[in-house]
Amino acid sequence: MMRPFLIGISLLFLGALLFAPLAMVFVSAFGAGWHAWFTTFADSDTGAAIRLTLLTAAIVVPLNTLFGVCAAWCIAKFEFPGKSMLITLIDLPLAVSPVVSGLIYVLLFGAQGWFGTWLQDHDISIIFAVPGIVLATSFVTFPYVARELIPLMQQQGNDEEEASITLGAGGWFTFFHVTLPRIRWGLLYGVILCNARAMGEFGAVSVVSGHIRGVTNTMPLHIEALYQDYSMAGAFAVASLLSLLAVVTLIIKSLLEWRMGVNHR
Amino acid sequence: MSITLEQVTKRYQGQPVVNDVSLSVAEGEFFVLLGPSGSGKSTLLRAIAGLVDIDQGSIALHGNDVTHVGARDRGVGFVFQHYALFRHLTVAENIEFALRVRRMKGAERRARRAELLKLVALEGMDQRLPAQLSGGQQQRVAVARALAHKPQVLLLDEPFGALDAKIREELRWTIRSVQRELGITTVLVTHDQEEAFALADRIGVMNLGRLLEVGVPRDLYARPATRFVATFLGAANLLLAQQGPEGIRFGTTPVDATVQQPHIGREHEVVTLLRPEELELSAQREQLTSSYLGRATVEELQFTGALERLRLRLLDNQNAVQTSAGDGAEGRIEATRPQPERRALPLAIGDVVALGARRLHVLPTPLSSFVVYGISDSAALELAQVPLLITLAARMKTRVAACTGEPGCTPTAMPGVAVTAAGPDAPARTAELLRTGANEVLLLNATTDVPQQICMYWLDEPARHATLAVAASLLRHLPAEAVCIATAPAGRRDPRRGQALRALLDARSEARAAHALETRTELIPGEAPQALGDYLASQPTPLLVLGSADIASAQRTLEYLATHLPALPVMLVYREARH
Amino acid sequence: MYWRRERSVIPGFGITFGFTTFFLSALVLLPLTALVIKGAGMDWTRFIKVVTDPRAVASYKLTFGASLLAALINIVFGFIVAWTLVRYRFPGRRFIDAIIDMPFALPTAVSGLALTAVFSGNGWIGQYLEPLGIKVAYAPLGITIALTLIGMPFVVRTVQPALEELPKDVEEAAATLGAGPAYTFFRVILPALLPAVLTGFTLAFARAVGEYGSITFIAGNIPFKTEITPLLIIIKLDEYDYAAAAAIGCVMLAISFVMLLAINLVQAWGRRRISGAVRR
Repeated sequence: MMRPFLIGISLLFLGALLFAPLAMVFVSAFGAGWHAWFTTFADSDTGAAIRLTLLTAAIVVPLNTLFGVCAAWCIAKFEFPGKSMLITLIDLPLAVSPVVSGLIYVLLFGAQGWFGTWLQDHDISIIFAVPGIVLATSFVTFPYVARELIPLMQQQGNDEEEASITLGAGGWFTFFHVTLPRIRWGLLYGVILCNARAMGEFGAVSVVSGHIRGVTNTMPLHIEALYQDYSMAGAFAVASLLSLLAVVTLIIKSLLEWRMGVNHR
Repeated sequence: MSITLEQVTKRYQGQPVVNDVSLSVAEGEFFVLLGPSGSGKSTLLRAIAGLVDIDQGSIALHGNDVTHVGARDRGVGFVFQHYALFRHLTVAENIEFALRVRRMKGAERRARRAELLKLVALEGMDQRLPAQLSGGQQQRVAVARALAHKPQVLLLDEPFGALDAKIREELRWTIRSVQRELGITTVLVTHDQEEAFALADRIGVMNLGRLLEVGVPRDLYARPATRFVATFLGAANLLLAQQGPEGIRFGTTPVDATVQQPHIGREHEVVTLLRPEELELSAQREQLTSSYLGRATVEELQFTGALERLRLRLLDNQNAVQTSAGDGAEGRIEATRPQPERRALPLAIGDVVALGARRLHVLPTPLSSFVVYGISDSAALELAQVPLLITLAARMKTRVAACTGEPGCTPTAMPGVAVTAAGPDAPARTAELLRTGANEVLLLNATTDVPQQICMYWLDEPARHATLAVAASLLRHLPAEAVCIATAPAGRRDPRRGQALRALLDARSEARAAHALETRTELIPGEAPQALGDYLASQPTPLLVLGSADIASAQRTLEYLATHLPALPVMLVYREARH
Repeated sequence: MYWRRERSVIPGFGITFGFTTFFLSALVLLPLTALVIKGAGMDWTRFIKVVTDPRAVASYKLTFGASLLAALINIVFGFIVAWTLVRYRFPGRRFIDAIIDMPFALPTAVSGLALTAVFSGNGWIGQYLEPLGIKVAYAPLGITIALTLIGMPFVVRTVQPALEELPKDVEEAAATLGAGPAYTFFRVILPALLPAVLTGFTLAFARAVGEYGSITFIAGNIPFKTEITPLLIIIKLDEYDYAAAAAIGCVMLAISFVMLLAINLVQAWGRRRISGAVRR
């Protein structure tokens, strides 16, 4: 009665919305065979897009991880006025449209921006260059690690850290030997989500990149470029690589959720 | 002394959670801090460990002031309520943590670990993770971990709180034997009086941030100084009796009782403690071997194994039984009997028995019960609803009676603190109450709330002793600050200034010695009552405890205060000067 | 008030607080301030003219309409999915549960590209809809579908835990009191889940309003027809009309703040309802 009906509706809904597009990516990407797939990646612009995406993630993810750990330590371990305000501000980038996220950097560093003339005089380019892409990506992925760690560390409390200190350990020793081992799975969880978003960000990067092929196109932007060229096979080939990233992210995420669930008990 | 605390105060958001605590724990002593949740005992323990900063006072360990030394360098062993074991480390790694921090060599570490595991009877558990141990075993590991670096002091914060009764009992033996073996100075925090009795060399009882009493378990149980300790340490019947020149009287019958407090001037109401096991039950009054209290009917019987518990209702002197207002338990007394006594006199519900008191202890508190004096029933009822009075009566577990002008309703016939409404005619009414037998009069407004400050001021030196005693008694039930006040003319050279200063210092040491009460002192320049009034007007919600040995001068001071500070609550303490 | 921070034995407050606020200010607060100042610095009449331009208004209508519709679709279907995952055990349930988060992990460009392919006239699903006169790709309906996809996990992931925590005995109690399944669902279960559903709805809606990546592919970007507000900002930027871009950006930012406020209010309301019920 209700059971098969509801399961059916769920599967239909998810099938049309999730599975069909995902399957479409892989079918279209490999529809013309492996050879065609590889041809896309032989293209130098595609290679540059992949390198740029990896470079951006390599800068942004460690930076936001460091920030996330600092913010979580500060918020979970101490009481201070304005704490809830700080938490709200950290979450702010999630509420802002990616396009606005890119726009704000253009207004700061673009040719007509606040620092535009100064940057031009000193021959530094941020907008339509790699630094702008890194900044915009940092903005949109800013809260990911902190959001995972803050509730986790708040829930774990300060008991073990206090125990460590009464036993004579210092701050760094306590962090590396007591705190870090307790939060490692949560930290990793935040890091892979941060990484997925950093590699896949489109809107914010699109505003600041300038779409210069082989120079300032990341993989998602390169998909758009190929799509506009009606190079569907190429677009889907790059998309399949990003989809693979998403699938791997989901697998690690599920493993970590399972792992953390076990740890809780 | 191994641990010395001097006037330690800790506030959270302005509220004192630890209020002026001074305490010394001897070398090798097992000291238990006992109190209900929220009494400040855990905060005090954490302050000793350096986990909490204190706002005032000092802490010394083995003669070294460590008030400003961080937790890391105090070298104490701390056992947390929920163990706080490092869950990702094995038992061995947990225990060796402090040694590793101190860069001890591997072989030495292993030897010490083996020693500790033997001490807490966990040999062979080295490689387990905390999650693989039972709660009791985890707590043993926590103890071993806290002892690894050979601390001079071991602190335990409700260490058995999360465990089953059986395991708790067993761990008590372990902790006690470990402590004896090492001879380590130990402070344990608990809310369980049985646990405190079982473990402690000495117990300190805390309530509302204050350390109320310190003593050997047996003494505290038998001869507590305060209502709170009397009732917190075990089942207690609190009975009101009269203390006169010829001794203690219960209703019309004289009784034997241990009295620490000398008789004061005229007859006075006192609070006595009668433990359930000190009651003697007998069919006839003549068969009692102890002081006769009265007749009572059996209302409830419970078999609890070794003991039989009874609820009895007194047939005469019902008013003598103190209970918090309005819970319908007036006149009810609890008793327990061992089985041989039960067999000798089997009882059923409804039986009438004669009650005897084998041992009656008079509490040295000057405040017994409250009697509200009002012109009409509604006025008296309104007065009985004043927040301060409700709080006090509930915390003192005492009753509030009412007197509404019917003949014979005088303080002589109705002993206790007289409560009356503040107002223009209050001074005259107070004087009348004092003349007709009242010793204390509490003047309240309809809205008087719990004060933040209790100010002590006495008009004549003979009233000082009683003023301090009444204030100390109030302060045990109210989380307020204590201030001793004196006034002296403004001139620096005036000899009266020196006198007043000396009197203040005397009062402070008396409060500390006789009531374990730490007080602040204020010498106000100017003449009373103006100077007193001005000072009180500048304080946030004070209550004045005003001592006097002369009714007329008390009335004059009250008249001044009634015109200038109509909202001020006053507790007037009257003691006739001895001739 | 006591503004003094309670000193803690745990070290590191100064350095972590300093780094956190510095990084936050430099990366987030300063640039956002730049936007607000740029927008506010404009001539007021021009600001009004830009943000009330018919093309901009059409884009607001489309963005909000499609986002609202997508969020509504999501609370219906998302609820059913959450219900299925919590209440029923069937083969593949764990797999489905894991894949719900796919829109979080999948780059929006990929989902946009793939949805366009699936729903275009000759796509897997589009080919059956086209003959019925339903045009999805390059039409407002396509935008709605793309927004439904990215909002879906928000609804499922907020309703799911609430449903799991809903005590089973409440339904049993309702049954013993004589309530039928429909009555129990609408009078007992739904009111208990309302805060979660509303939270999910606002989150999905807020996310949809700002979305850009997946829409660019499926929308076709025809002015007045399928042009969303974020796209309009990009068009203004491409025209080097920074002021206009900033003005529309300010409107978007203001909407973000309103949504953030709404989310917090809904959550606070939900917490109060739950904890209030427990206390009583």
